[in-house]
Amino acid sequence: MKTVFTWLGLIVLGLALGIGLAVWQIRSSGLGNDVRVGPWSTGRDVGTANADIKTRAIVALRGLLALPAREARYFTAATDSAGAPLSGKCRYALSGGAIEARWWSVTLYDRGGWLIANRWNRHSVGSARIPAGETDKWTVLIGPDEQPGLWIPTGGDGPFELTLRAYRPQGLMARDPARISLPTITRRECRP
Amino acid sequence: MMRRLAPLLVVASAALGSYYATLAATPYALMRLAEAKLTKTAPVNHFTHTPPVRADRQFVVRPSPDLLYSVCPYDLSAGPLEVTAVPVPGRYSSISVFDARTDNAFVRNDEEMAGKPMRVVLALEGQAVPAGAETVRVRYPTGIVLQRVLLADPSEAAAVDPIRRKAQCRTLAQ
Repeated sequence: MKTVFTWLGLIVLGLALGIGLAVWQIRSSGLGNDVRVGPWSTGRDVGTANADIKTRAIVALRGLLALPAREARYFTAATDSAGAPLSGKCRYALSGGAIEARWWSVTLYDRGGWLIANRWNRHSVGSARIPAGETDKWTVLIGPDEQPGLWIPTGGDGPFELTLRAYRPQGLMARDPARISLPTITRRECRP
Repeated sequence: MMRRLAPLLVVASAALGSYYATLAATPYALMRLAEAKLTKTAPVNHFTHTPPVRADRQFVVRPSPDLLYSVCPYDLSAGPLEVTAVPVPGRYSSISVFDARTDNAFVRNDEEMAGKPMRVVLALEGQAVPAGAETVRVRYPTGIVLQRVLLADPSEAAAVDPIRRKAQCRTLAQ
């Protein structure tokens, strides 16, 4: 009898290890991790039947109903360009140039992928808001307090992440996202 | 030697099996959860045109506040589903279909609609569809049809709303 329980215990241990590893990988991954551009990451097969088993699980948790790459590319960043985790206590400058897509937007979420309440009801900046003449060089500020110009509130002191959506991608954005340039995320001051 | 390795092999086999089983089951489980959440407020096989997304109004993870969404949770058990929509002039819009495994089975945007209404029929293998209808065969009976319409500014929602409400889902009799 003891032997049976020993083997059952080993099986339960193995099951727990496998499930734990899978849950940890799904929860700790970005929205697809097979293309990295600075702090941004994306997956090549998001939303398609070609997606591997792991990508499909990650996208289901972190970006359910995401469109395939020919329609939209989704990049997520949980760190600034220096590699430090994004914090709601800090101000950041998100600086970029032209993005090869019909339209794009940058949205701020908590680490679970949910919008964070803030008194401005403001969560994103889209390409339609970039003034004409600045589309090749623009800056959006991110921080806990109101900023001049284009800005997104962090909505609290906790960690956050950004999602860059590029709808109807064109050029390299469509063909080879690993070779494109994406906005830099530069940390400025942080409050205690 | 084998007697010593056997416990390790049992643990490794169980771990490998449960690892892949968990990854494989996750999309189905999360899609079912999303469908269950949606059908509390959105009837099956009908479009529900949700108001602009806000922090206190998020029907699915990572919603875009720049898009106006309409959702149609579907169930093909009673027959194929007809989906119709019109493009919203001068802005991005699309109709997409996601199956129970979260795979995108269909997407058509306003450029592809070229200013004309679209009609597509979702059907399981073996279900009869109207002659000549553009048909998308799906492997699972349930899923979600989603309409996205771009809002350059939240104030545009009122003007866009009557056009996006022309989108319809309806079950076709077998």
